[in-house]
Formats: sequence, C-alpha cells, structure tokens
Amino acid sequence: MSAKTRKQFFKVFWIVVGVVCFLIMMFPLYWMISCSLKTESEIFARPPYYFPPNPNLDAYITQLSNVEQFPIINSFKNSMIISLATMAISVVLSTMASYGLARFNIKGKNLIIFLFLVSQMLPQVFTLVPDFIIFKSVGIYNTYWAPIFANCTVAIPFSILMLRTYFLSIPKEVDDAALIDGCNHFQSFLKIMMPMASTGIVVSFVFSFLFGYADMMFSLTFINDSRMWPVTTGIYNVVGRYGIEWSRAMAFGCLAVAPVVLIFLLMERYIVEGLASGAVKG
Amino acid sequence: MPKRKQKLKSDTIGYWFVLPALLFMSLFIVYPLIYNFVLSFQKVDVMTLMAPHKEWVGFQNYANVMNGTYLWGSMKNTFVFTIGCIAFQFSIGFLLAVLYTQKCKALKPISGLLLISYIIPGTVCSILFKFMFATNGGIVNELFIQLGLITQPIEWLTRPDMAMWSVIIANTWTGIPFNMILLVSGLVNIPLEVYESATIDGANGAQQFFKITVPLLKSSIQTVLVLGFVYTFKCFELIYVMTTGGPVYSTELMSIYSYRRSFMEFNFSEGAAIANILFIILFAVGLFYTKLIGKDEVA
Repeated sequence: MSAKTRKQFFKVFWIVVGVVCFLIMMFPLYWMISCSLKTESEIFARPPYYFPPNPNLDAYITQLSNVEQFPIINSFKNSMIISLATMAISVVLSTMASYGLARFNIKGKNLIIFLFLVSQMLPQVFTLVPDFIIFKSVGIYNTYWAPIFANCTVAIPFSILMLRTYFLSIPKEVDDAALIDGCNHFQSFLKIMMPMASTGIVVSFVFSFLFGYADMMFSLTFINDSRMWPVTTGIYNVVGRYGIEWSRAMAFGCLAVAPVVLIFLLMERYIVEGLASGAVKG
Repeated sequence: MPKRKQKLKSDTIGYWFVLPALLFMSLFIVYPLIYNFVLSFQKVDVMTLMAPHKEWVGFQNYANVMNGTYLWGSMKNTFVFTIGCIAFQFSIGFLLAVLYTQKCKALKPISGLLLISYIIPGTVCSILFKFMFATNGGIVNELFIQLGLITQPIEWLTRPDMAMWSVIIANTWTGIPFNMILLVSGLVNIPLEVYESATIDGANGAQQFFKITVPLLKSSIQTVLVLGFVYTFKCFELIYVMTTGGPVYSTELMSIYSYRRSFMEFNFSEGAAIANILFIILFAVGLFYTKLIGKDEVA
C-alpha cells in the first residue's frame, strides 16, 4: 500500500467508525420513536421489527385521550409554568450575583463562591426533608412555588459559576468608562455589561429551563395534587403505577422529550457552550 | 482620599447585586445543611417531624446506620456504580471527542446531535432503558439472541448481579456527551501541526495519543473526572425510576438508601445521617477539586 492509498484508507475507515458510533449512540432515541409507532403485539414480535411495519399514531391517541388516568396536555402546562418560572427567577438572581462577584471587592467573596460550589455538590436527597419542612411551614407546599424554588437551588449555582467567567472576561475599563460617562452601577450593568455577556445569559436561560423541565423528584415530593404535576412526574407515576403498555409509555416519552429536542435544535450552540464551561451537572 | 471613598461605595453596591441570590441560597441550601446536621442527632419519625420539640439522641443514628449492613452495602454500590460509569463514559467520551475533532471532521456537525442524550429528562431516559432491558421483548435481549451471544433472555433488571450493569449502561449513555464536549473544548486548542511534526519524527498513533494529546488535555481531563465523580456519586433519579435500589438492594446507592429511610420507612433522622455521610464524601472530593483548579478559579 502506498502512502497515499494508506491515507485514503484511514480516512474512509475513520468515517465508517464515526458513523457507526453515532448510530449506536442515537439508537435508544430511535428505538423510543420507532416503538411509539408500533402496536403492542409488534413490540413483542420475534424477531423484533427494527422498523415499525405499519407506523401508526394509535399509542399517542390512546395515551392523550386517557384523561382520567393522567391528563397529559394539562401536565405540559404545569411543566411550562414550573420551568419558565425557574428560568426567570434564576436568570435574574444569578446574572446580578455573578456580575457582583466578578466586578466588586466584596468581603468574603471567596467564601460566597465556595458556597455556590458546595451547593452544586449537594445530593438531591439532602434538601428534600428540610425543604419539605420549609414549604409546609410557609404554606407553599402543594403549590407550583415549591418545585420552582427547589429547582432554582440547582439552576442558580450553575448559572452564577458559569456567568462569572463571562463577566470576568469583559475588561474593567468598559465598566469604568460607563461610570465616567455618568451611568450609575445599575445602569452600566443593564445597558453595557449585560449585552456584552449576552451569550452567557442565553446559556443560563437555556440551562435553567432544562433543569426545571427535567425535574421529577421535587415535584413528586412537594406537590400532592397530581393535577399540578409536570410531565416528568406524570410519566414516572403512570408508567410505574399502572404498568401501561410499552407502546404507550414510549409515546408518552416521545411527547415529553419533544420540547427538549426543539430547544436543542434552536439552541445547540448555547448548550455546547454551557457544557464546555465545566460548571454543569452531569 | 476621594478615590478610597469611591472604592468603598462601589463595594457596597456590589453587595446589593449579590445579596438576592445569596439570601435565596442561604434559605434553601445553608438552612438544609444545618437542619440535616441537627436532625441527624435527634430522634424524628413521621409523628414528630412537625413537632416543636424533638428528642436529642447524640450519635445514636450514626451508630445505628454504621452497625447495620445497608450503609456499607450502599457505599460499595455507590463506588462500583461511580467507577463503572466514569470508566465507560470517560473512555467512550474521549474516543468520540478525538473521533469527531481529529479523525473525521466531516462528521462534526452531526455529532452535535449526540448531546440530546444528555439533555433529555432523566425520568424519560430511565423508562426508556427499563424498556430496552426488559426480559421479554426488550431489544437488548432480542439483539443478543439474534447475534447468538445468548440463548436464554437475561433478566437484566430482576437479577441482582445484572441490575448494576443495566443502571451503569443507562447512566453512561446520558453522561457521554458531558465528557465528550469538555474534552472537545480542550482538543480544539491543540494545533494539528503538532501531530504532523510528530509523524515526521516517526511517532506512531499510540505514542502521539499518550505523549501529545493526554498531557495537553491534562486540565480538561482533571475537570471531567472530578466533576463526573461528584455528579455520578450523588446520582439519584435515574436509579430511583429504573430499579428503586432493587432487586434485593443490589443497586441501592447511598442516595437511594437515604431516601428509603426518610420517605419509605419514615426514619428521618437516620435518613439525614446517611445523607450527611454521603455529603462529607462529596465535600472531600470537592475540596480536592477546588485546590486543583484553585489558582485560576478564585481570582
């Protein structure tokens, strides 16, 4: 083999490896979609159908129309309320805090940053009982606020640690110039610094939403009334408790994943950015 | 003198920016820290949870937990799970990172789609893998039978010796993109000329990987491994939905054990004691990490 054909061979070889790895990684998702389009007997067929033989939406229709068991459409509304509120609160609080931590000489700054680092390490079970007590005693147990606040404790430390690096990368002179031009700190923050850190702020929007959307346990623990449950808690409860048919479980799964995939397609760049910041939960 | 005053003033303003988030986190994070600490020294069950006065029992809860078999079993499971997940997701993530940034760049755009496995809600992921690992009709068994690897279906989720593999595989799948992306962001900074000149000097692929790629990625690798450890060690929802720690406690991690004591058996004090032990381990690893990155992080 000459050097050139050898090079050609390796080029093709690596592309084949790359495609195979990609297909293996995507297979579980493909399988979920594929099985949601099958009937229950097609799912248990031997040998298995790798493609749905007669693709149909029956599983979706049954699952969506079975309102007594679990009202899915309504649960999407709950998911949106919980994740949008999580997003709004955590973006506002963490944008301000990360600017403050990046720009000012605050006493105990390192301690505060350390607190946010530590709170990222807390296991979820750790906060369940104490937060349950707090929510009960201030009367927001069994309201949307309980899972919203709990989700914020996950989203805020991530956003602060990630955003601080964005604010640190803006030269201090920019801030000083704004102050000399007659802005106060708050104006300079809103009009100069926030636009300059906009990429980071969008990352924080996207991840706060995703944290809020992905939560199942907080809503299960802090909300008693199943009509207020988000999609994730619903799918856990329906699949676990009723042991529904797999085709319907997969249809439910596809519906639950759809908003996330949509966000991914629109926001891929920011998701990559957030992951690469190394401040994210994995 | 005026300059100093200006500085003082601006620092006071800094507090106002940080204060809202700090208050919020103090209420929902610092308070739970203290609460769990106190709770683990009291005797609290479902009757006394909301009562104003609780019986103080000292180290009794810790002694109970440590004298039982479940703590050590769950600790072993947690380490097996964590090390298993990290070994797979790090090596596969590394492989994919090298593949899509160096070996076949043409595929880089589509490789972004792999991130979806990371961002889909954990609950959905667990149910999906529960389905794929089902003894009857699960695609894993069907595929293995078709390939002739096995003749009888494996009871993945109901056999204690196989269940751990199932949850490790499921968690690995969601964790790979995290490893891949962090390593990619390090890899793109290595100029390809370095490899070209190494090839001219006669270095083979393995030598290039271990002598160039690995040393230049040292800080990315450290970050991936330590963060991966922390987040895998406290993994909860995925296992809760897939196996709830079963069968026969074979996938019961410390987080699941703590949850079981608190929310299924209503012994909140022992649940808190277990959560504290789990947290201390994580905290030690976290301290080690902040020391590691400390020089450039806390500026």
